[in-house]
Amino acid sequence: MLSKKSARTFFIAGTVITFGCFIVLTIDTFKKIPAQTNQHNLSESAIRGKHLFDQNNCMGCHTIMGEGAYYAPELTKTYEKRGAKFIEMMLTDPEKMFPGKRKMVKYNFTAQEKQDLIAFLKWVGEIDLNGFPPKPDLQVSQQSVSNLPGNQPSIIQDMCMSCHSLGGQGSQEGPGPALDGVGSKYGVEYLRRWLSNPEEVKPGTEMPNLELDKETIDELVSYLSKLK
Amino acid sequence: MKYNSQKVAYWFFALSMLLFGIQITYGFIMGFAHMGFDVLHGWIPFNTARAVHTNCLVMWLLSGFMGAAYFIIPDECERELINPKLAYVQLISFAIVGVIALIGFHFNWWEGRKFLEIPRPLDYLVVINVLIFIYLIGGTIWKAKRYTTTSIVLFFGLLMAALLYLPGMLNTVSQTVDSFWRWWVVHLWVEGVWELIMGAILSYLLIKLTGVDREIAEKWLYVIVGFTFLSGILGTGHHYYYIGTPKYWLIIGGVFSALEPLAFLGMAIYAVKVKNLGERNHPNKMALAWSIGCAILSFVGAGFLGFAHTLPQVNLYTHGTLVTAMHGHLAFWGAYAMIVIALITYALPQLTGRKLHDSKLGVFAFWSANIGMIMMTIAFGIAGVAQVYLERKLGLEFLSVQSEIEVHFLGLVLAALVFSSGCIAFIWNFVKHGMPRDTQIGSKVYE
Ligand code: HEC
Ligand code: HEC
Ligand code: HEM
Ligand code: HEM
Ligand SMILES: [Fe+2]
Repeated sequence: MLSKKSARTFFIAGTVITFGCFIVLTIDTFKKIPAQTNQHNLSESAIRGKHLFDQNNCMGCHTIMGEGAYYAPELTKTYEKRGAKFIEMMLTDPEKMFPGKRKMVKYNFTAQEKQDLIAFLKWVGEIDLNGFPPKPDLQVSQQSVSNLPGNQPSIIQDMCMSCHSLGGQGSQEGPGPALDGVGSKYGVEYLRRWLSNPEEVKPGTEMPNLELDKETIDELVSYLSKLK
Repeated sequence: MKYNSQKVAYWFFALSMLLFGIQITYGFIMGFAHMGFDVLHGWIPFNTARAVHTNCLVMWLLSGFMGAAYFIIPDECERELINPKLAYVQLISFAIVGVIALIGFHFNWWEGRKFLEIPRPLDYLVVINVLIFIYLIGGTIWKAKRYTTTSIVLFFGLLMAALLYLPGMLNTVSQTVDSFWRWWVVHLWVEGVWELIMGAILSYLLIKLTGVDREIAEKWLYVIVGFTFLSGILGTGHHYYYIGTPKYWLIIGGVFSALEPLAFLGMAIYAVKVKNLGERNHPNKMALAWSIGCAILSFVGAGFLGFAHTLPQVNLYTHGTLVTAMHGHLAFWGAYAMIVIALITYALPQLTGRKLHDSKLGVFAFWSANIGMIMMTIAFGIAGVAQVYLERKLGLEFLSVQSEIEVHFLGLVLAALVFSSGCIAFIWNFVKHGMPRDTQIGSKVYE
């Protein structure tokens, strides 16, 4: 049987050897992190954004790179998915972007601070994360999406899908109705007025004024009216 | 209790129980928020509730470990602590730092890194505090009449835990580097040095409670902690899969972390075997129940459920979902909460001279808390698997998935009620024991 002395030798040798390997790998990892994370793109603004992210404990509700809390959306790809404008509005008034949903803290960030946080999220989104987050490989809506008219303005995915669904994608439980078939429901003029200022068309509505510029509205209206 | 200075352990245990109570309360706040009732959002937003929940957990476990050390070390070393008064200073300063941190969390004062939320200025106070603790324990061992493997492993575990707090204090600008160091604290604690602390306390308890031969028990202890470090150090790689670190971590982390359950398996086999081997019939049956329960549930929570999501192919989908929360609960409970509770159950009758350990309340506490925790784990597990499937496989929106799984949080809260009633029973039993008594010093009853 194993003696106590050899058990101790096993413990000490195992620890020393694996810890040695761990240190070597750590050094190598630190050599490779700058390239893998695009450190050259890490601007002063993004660094300030990281500190704001920490100081306000955004990780206490959200995950980022898969770390944090499980109460609010994963933020790694938010910049890619929603775009800067959406994030900015989110940081100004979260309630406006997700009326009646789970609550996020309303912060009083300055315009600069919002840009810093956006820069941070953009930088994180570009890191090579070895394939995380995974592509949903059983997504069924692919086929119904392809029934939609082509040339979808990117803003639909960025902004509208957080409240609406279209072709089985986006928010299934509102607060906005599904956008499928709006083209047959409303005329071009109505859609244009609606998108410029929903409040004016229907006082008290939950759809916020998204402050869209004229070109975007034109693009949206021509797309939406094709949804028959 | 043989020595006067062991009494200080009682106060660490009392602090532990207090923080444990707060932890559970804030757990309910989060459980309800997940169910859709975030009525406290204006005062205690989710991130505050969470920081209080997890930091209370870490603090009550640390307080429990410190109390355990102050109880075990004089006994093992056969002498008083070198400076008992300083131990009280350490206790009070620890409590003060903890309370300031908890209050700060309600006023947006924190560092915002998961598990390391304590703000930087307080980190320095923690370091000073722990230095005092290490000095007291180390000094006592240094001047000891005898050196036992149990006390050396315990000390080594505590010392390493203190040193590993430091990587968490490095300033970083990159999220990847930040996360890299964070795991040196979080992972190397729970899957490294804390296992030494747990193994040592378990070995101490088994020697006392079953009368097993010290040579055999301590040989096992070396084998177990040997496996812990052999797998656990490089096993850190299972947190370096998807944070912007090189791909080789997928292989290294995968292989070594897959071996980590061995240490927990060893602990479980060892405890059960020793229980059957031992000749002694110790009257404190509940302390033995908690000890054996700890060895078994830590294998289930840490070993089995850890293994379930540690391979990179699986972790790609489960990373950062409620599956992790499922594992986190049973692992922390089985391994560290239960070992602290086991030691408290063993120590209380000695400290206070009251023989309440086998009372109905004590037995109820054991079953209710453990069954409740297993039910909570199941609730988190179902919610987690559903989340993975809907969000990561089918690609539904995060919030749509969350409203889909709200019902499982009703299950969680119900299970948590069972769990908490056990915990309240335990805390109530603790209170009923009363204060430590000087008449107990030198008494051999319940040793
Ligand atoms: C109290 C919890 C909480 C905190 C703290 C919090 N958030 Fe959120 N956040 C949410 C929730 C919940 C959502 C989902 C939308 C909603 O229901 O409001 C969200 C949504 C978002 C979104 C939109 C994500 C998407 O994919 O649609 C962004 C961006 C965001 N948060 C950024 C932040 C930043 C930056 C911070 C820190 C300054 C932060 N959040 C702090 C809860 C929180
Ligand atoms: C913050 C949530 C939100 C966002 C973001 C949002 N909407 Fe809406 N939308 C709503 C709500 C709520 C309604 C229903 C309003 C009502 O009936 O009062 C609505 C209604 C509509 C309608 C009328 C639908 C019908 O069947 O009556 C259209 C068209 C529309 N939205 C288009 C858009 C487009 C295009 C975007 C993106 C640029 C967008 N919405 C972004 C919340 C939102
Ligand atoms: C009343 C009982 C409890 C309830 C209702 C509860 C509930 C919760 C909830 C809802 C979360 C947050 C998950 C998220 O981020 O969305 C959480 C986190 C956590 N809880 Fe509990 N909890 C309870 C008791 C405990 C106990 C006794 C322990 C330890 C032994 C514990 C350890 C943890 C840990 C470690 C986390 C962080 C998990 C992670 O980040 O993966 N909890 N808890
Ligand atoms: C008692 C020991 C253990 C405890 C207390 C524990 C606790 C935890 C906690 C709290 C987390 C969440 C950490 C965070 O996100 O910050 C976590 C993550 C994890 N644990 Fe453990 N654990 C233990 C042992 C193990 C073991 C032995 C394994 C593997 C076999 C394991 C595998 C994992 C994995 C893979 C993750 C990452 C999950 C993710 O990607 O989100 N754990 N553990
Ligand atoms: Fe780990």
